Amino acid sequence: MLQSKSFMKMTRHGRAVKVVREHYLRDDIYCGVQYCKVCDTKDARLGSSESTILVVDTNVILHQIDLLENPAMDDVVVLDVVMEEVKNKNLSVYNRLKALCTSSQRKFFIFYNEYHKDTYVKQMVGETSNDRNDRAIRVATQWYQNHLAGSSRVLLITNDRENKRKAIEEGLSAETVESYVKSLGQPGLLDLVVVSSSEDVNVMEVEETRPSKRKAIYSEHKPMSEITHGLHRGIYHQGKLRVNRYNPFEAYVGSESIGDEIIIYGRSNMNRAFDGDIVAVELLPQDQWHDVKKLSIEDEGKDEEEGVHLVPGSADDAPRGTVPSAVPSETMNSTSCRPSGKVIGIIKRNWQSYCGSLEPMSMPAGDGGVAYALFISKDRRIPKIRIQTRQLGNLLNKRIIVAVDSWDCLSRYPSGHYVRTIGNIGDKKTEDEVILIENDINSRPFSMQVLACLPPLPWNLSPEDLMNPNRVDLRHVRVFSVDPPGCTDIDDALHCTSLSNGNFEVGVHIADVTNFVHPETPLDKEASQRGTSVYLVDRRIDMLPKPLTEDICSLRSDVERLAFSVIWEITPQAEITSTRYTKSVIKSCAALSYVEAQARMDDSRLMDPLTTDLRNLNSLAKIMRQRRIERGALTLASAEVKFQIDTETHDPLDIGIYQIREANQMIEEFMLAANISVAEKILKHFPLCSLLRRHPSPTKDMLEPLLRITASIGLDLDVSSSKALADSLDHAVGEDPYFNKLIRILATRCMTQAVYFCSGDLSPQEFHHYGLAAPLYTHFTSPIRRYADVIVHRLLAAALGISKLPPVFLDRNQLTSVSDNLNYRHRNAQMASRASVELNTVIYFRKRPTDTEARIVKIRANGFIVFVPKFGIEGPVYLVKRGEKSDWLVDEANQRVTKAGSGVNYRVLQAVKIHMEVVEHQPNRPKLELTLI
Amino acid sequence: MEYVKLSGFRLDGRRPTEMRHIHAEVGAVANADGSASFEMGNTKVIAAVYGPKEVENKGQQIGNKALVRCEYSMANFSTGDRARRPKGDRRSTELSLVIRQTMEACILTHLMPRSQIDIYVQVLQADGGTRSACINAATLALADAGIPMCDLVTSCAAGYLNSTPLLDLNYLEDSAGGPDVTVGLLSKLDKVTLLQMDAKLPLDIFENVMQLAIEGCKAIANLIRQVLLENTKKLEYLRGT
Amino acid sequence: MVGLSAGEKNFIRGGIEQDLRADGRQRQDFRPILIETGVIPQANGSARVRFGATDVIASVKAELGKPNPLQPGRGKVAIYVDCSPTAAPAFERGGGEELSTELSAALQKCLLGGKSGAGAGIDLSSLMVLEGKVCWDLYIDGLVVSSDGNLLDALAAAIKAALTNTGIPKVDVGVGASPDEQPEVNISDEEFLQFDTSAVPVIITLTKVGREYIVDATSDEESQMSSAVSVSVNSHGKVCGLIKRGGAGLDASVILDMVSAARHVSQKLIPLLDSEIDAAEAASLAGQGSDVDP
Repeated sequence: MLQSKSFMKMTRHGRAVKVVREHYLRDDIYCGVQYCKVCDTKDARLGSSESTILVVDTNVILHQIDLLENPAMDDVVVLDVVMEEVKNKNLSVYNRLKALCTSSQRKFFIFYNEYHKDTYVKQMVGETSNDRNDRAIRVATQWYQNHLAGSSRVLLITNDRENKRKAIEEGLSAETVESYVKSLGQPGLLDLVVVSSSEDVNVMEVEETRPSKRKAIYSEHKPMSEITHGLHRGIYHQGKLRVNRYNPFEAYVGSESIGDEIIIYGRSNMNRAFDGDIVAVELLPQDQWHDVKKLSIEDEGKDEEEGVHLVPGSADDAPRGTVPSAVPSETMNSTSCRPSGKVIGIIKRNWQSYCGSLEPMSMPAGDGGVAYALFISKDRRIPKIRIQTRQLGNLLNKRIIVAVDSWDCLSRYPSGHYVRTIGNIGDKKTEDEVILIENDINSRPFSMQVLACLPPLPWNLSPEDLMNPNRVDLRHVRVFSVDPPGCTDIDDALHCTSLSNGNFEVGVHIADVTNFVHPETPLDKEASQRGTSVYLVDRRIDMLPKPLTEDICSLRSDVERLAFSVIWEITPQAEITSTRYTKSVIKSCAALSYVEAQARMDDSRLMDPLTTDLRNLNSLAKIMRQRRIERGALTLASAEVKFQIDTETHDPLDIGIYQIREANQMIEEFMLAANISVAEKILKHFPLCSLLRRHPSPTKDMLEPLLRITASIGLDLDVSSSKALADSLDHAVGEDPYFNKLIRILATRCMTQAVYFCSGDLSPQEFHHYGLAAPLYTHFTSPIRRYADVIVHRLLAAALGISKLPPVFLDRNQLTSVSDNLNYRHRNAQMASRASVELNTVIYFRKRPTDTEARIVKIRANGFIVFVPKFGIEGPVYLVKRGEKSDWLVDEANQRVTKAGSGVNYRVLQAVKIHMEVVEHQPNRPKLELTLI
Repeated sequence: MEYVKLSGFRLDGRRPTEMRHIHAEVGAVANADGSASFEMGNTKVIAAVYGPKEVENKGQQIGNKALVRCEYSMANFSTGDRARRPKGDRRSTELSLVIRQTMEACILTHLMPRSQIDIYVQVLQADGGTRSACINAATLALADAGIPMCDLVTSCAAGYLNSTPLLDLNYLEDSAGGPDVTVGLLSKLDKVTLLQMDAKLPLDIFENVMQLAIEGCKAIANLIRQVLLENTKKLEYLRGT
Repeated sequence: MVGLSAGEKNFIRGGIEQDLRADGRQRQDFRPILIETGVIPQANGSARVRFGATDVIASVKAELGKPNPLQPGRGKVAIYVDCSPTAAPAFERGGGEELSTELSAALQKCLLGGKSGAGAGIDLSSLMVLEGKVCWDLYIDGLVVSSDGNLLDALAAAIKAALTNTGIPKVDVGVGASPDEQPEVNISDEEFLQFDTSAVPVIITLTKVGREYIVDATSDEESQMSSAVSVSVNSHGKVCGLIKRGGAGLDASVILDMVSAARHVSQKLIPLLDSEIDAAEAASLAGQGSDVDP
């Protein structure tokens, strides 16, 4: 059967084009019910006997996906028309729905009603597409009812009153979500049901006894047609709203139409927009363009304050916006040059589930009834969320997940519903879990399908591997590895032998992960999704299953392992004269720790071959490093914190800055060299589909905070190139021995992070890695814990003709989305690590109030931000108590804060003594406070 | 974009290895020596054959075989957005050449020395797979004109989208930018006479995609044979024998 | 094309003289007319018309455009004709260009009237969307697929049928636009405007062979003509256009005679075409969504 579909489409040039598509209707689409006698039941997954078959409409899926994910909901028919509507409206719900439909644990079946000859409906004249789709849903439900002819009950679940009425008229059974869930008799499920907004209003009216007092808190959103029109005419501006991580009352909308960021101050101007929403913004009149400085003290910020956090590792982590633009302070009082605006409509919501806890409240008198509570998200960018629950007692003092459903302009807070409980607040396991959820990290155990891809254990080198002509036997070579102590996932090892011509042969051997992880297998897909291993203070979430990470791939000592090697011939002056790449078999003779390696090199009595190798490598590395620095590579400082963890309680016993030794730098140098060599090789072979890593040069704007600080102390930094910056950083020495390091730390936080990209997406000039001063860079050396390296291994293998290029590389869009995912995962992994360190910092200081030295890094109207070098953290020190009026004056030009009428002042980079202590202003919510001594 | 849905349906309701609806007819142009129309879904093509006849331009005459010429043209209204197309642009020149070479390979030109055969293909509506439709129409028209051929050459395209080999791409699938393999096949002799591909594809996948296109060619050949048989029966009936 | 022998020529001329033409028709008979509409689904309207072995396709595409500032209340219509080489080898490599241009110009004159648009068979003001701002531009494309004489009449009939088949989407004009900017428009997917084509004239070409003139000449007959006059006549019997193409000179009285003959023929032809078009429209509607083996 053939149907032709035609519709009019407007092209980009405003031309109307008639589009005609064929639409084939079929008679070989089956119902998916296991006991059906008519249909082919090969792929059937619905229904044991006497079950109810549920047909759900689009809005039920869009709003009640949390409920549907609960195993209590099963035997659900998902119609094609519903799938498409969900896909168009909300991609993340669509992906969750797809997961439900493909899961073998669940009984969700997609019925392709649009292609079935009996269930296809044509849009009638005068019928809207919504009505047509509702009719299609009813027709399909009817078909199921007739098809199953009484052997089971077919129930249409819809919250649309009109649709339900029509369905019942047409002789179907139909129910709302609430009434169906009630009929299941599981009260816990009811918390998952999203109450539709109209009913919500009723509830609130009951709660608020004087409805006349209810007035709009936010202005009404403009209708979509008006927004489109306004955007078209340039009155409104469209962009993604990003809320300042450190000040939730301030947000930015990057607008292409005015080529600048629009600042949105305060919740009422944000007008119910969430972080990540695509919004339409109207600019405020210029006289309302606030002075940023003033705002950080006034406005609604009263119940919010800045917490202590880790030192930012890059510009992406750093608080932003709190610095005013470089306008001299006199003019700042009159007007500011940054446009500010207000949100007038939301084009696309970015509502997700959020992790947090309920605001402490007393239990309502009547126990067991429905209670309202306010949920506070861990993510400070998210406003409080109202939820209703029947199990308040169970939820107080718990970490829970809540999803947002609606936010009308009458209520101060959005309404949402409870999704699930993670655990008790303050419980270390719970808090770890929260960190993982917040950063979208999958910590579930690997599935059976994934584990089935592993080679049988115990794995041993097979004769075939040795016979493989592409694999060189390097077992006779003295290979060794150097890693942090206790490292179990060793992915790199080295060797260094003197050649007869005076040169050295240096090899970098990387675990041959791609020999075990084959493209498009469940294992590969899982690793690609996870993207990277995540390191928390006392826990590692692996990208690959343990047998691979710790055994089969790990280049442990005294076992034969497969490797992918880069082997150079290097002159004593550290010039590379030749490079070769090969798959290999190695047998490491020693797995050293950095401390051990360093000790061996330093112990002049030791003259054994291994120590000689280490010393040779070290001398080469020093030359290479020196050359790299001369080229302009930045030696940026970060303060990496190391905890010593109690093996039993898992509580931190000691904390300190991670010490970098020469041995670390030696290994790093060769890894960099290997990555660069591989980047060159793969780009040469695959100029359009190589995965590389770039680090964009910081813009002047980004370096602004650094320049302002250095200018105030009379230091002139040349930021015209990385070389110039590196040189001026080298020359930045003060009387304070820590001064240089401090400046470097401040410089580091001005940089953005390096990112992965697909070489076909950018022009070669953009490939540059600013921090390393390298024209090309990629990741090759850690395939056990980074998926990017796995991809690069495959590229290199294909470049050498060892294996074929997997199909993903032929599809540029797919490759780009892989690299986007890697960047996302990489960043989340870092955020999670930081959060974990912060969590442990609080736990550590809970029992140990400490006095220590700190440096002022930023001046505020009511205090300053200090950096604590010893613990790698920074946080605010308040000179004024909350709520009190500040009598301190800020001198922007000199970055100084002075107490009015006295000579007491504090200036940036000044050393101060502070006291660190964990306090609990609210029960179960400990926080670290810094006070001036 | 998703071109193949979860359980394998394409956007127009076909399964990956299904062709569009095909309609073929002999005798679309009354005055031509042979003609045919060929439709694959919304792609519609007419072909007319004139000849064998005397060579018009004596300079082009070939002593030991027939001269085969081909011209491909697209109607102004054949695509979604109307465009006045200049005659003999690069694309039509290339297509004319492809069709001529493919047809020449199956015509027994040595039986008709010093003569000329003109093949004209006119696209009425384009919705993906015009190349193949033109070749199929030309084959039918040549057969209708009674021109001796060693076999029926038929053509079909296949592509590769969302990691699935797809037979007979329509315009929407074709514009997805994936690889598109067009095969021309002498079905009885099992010889490939035309093979074109316009994107990168790993060899093992290419093999599958090409095999799919070949299966498509064979199916079309069966259909064309059927159409010719029906037509001959009709002619026989009209003659009253 | 192989030329005619002297005997064949005589046979054709003699037949016409005796009102019995080579294919058995009388001088004022048309060949069987076959009409299909909706043959090009991608177009807004289309039709295929066959007069015996003459086979033409007409399509109508509508695009949004800006009206001519001199005639702010009207839409625009353009007619282009193409001769496919399938119709005759002589049309290959642009060989049909001259004939195409001649046919386009003749159709433009007969159906759309003069430059002012006066006497147009199509109501151009019905193509208006917003005065002076937005209008529909109709592009009418004719394609000659097979040629056996009388192309002009066949094309005119095809255009009439295609216009009857045409549905133009309803347009919503965005509100609130200031007078000096181009307004935003929304095109409806469901509602279409149909054309009233009752005023669209037909063209009847009278071909003079010897002393007589015939309608609907085949190409063999056309090869024997001395001159031809094409008359466009609407349903009220009014003459909308007249073209004399090539050939020997004619007495004015003969021309008048031919015009009245054309009017006479039109009274048979117009109802015939109308009923054929209606039948084709009904068939094309029924054909949508018909059962076809997958």
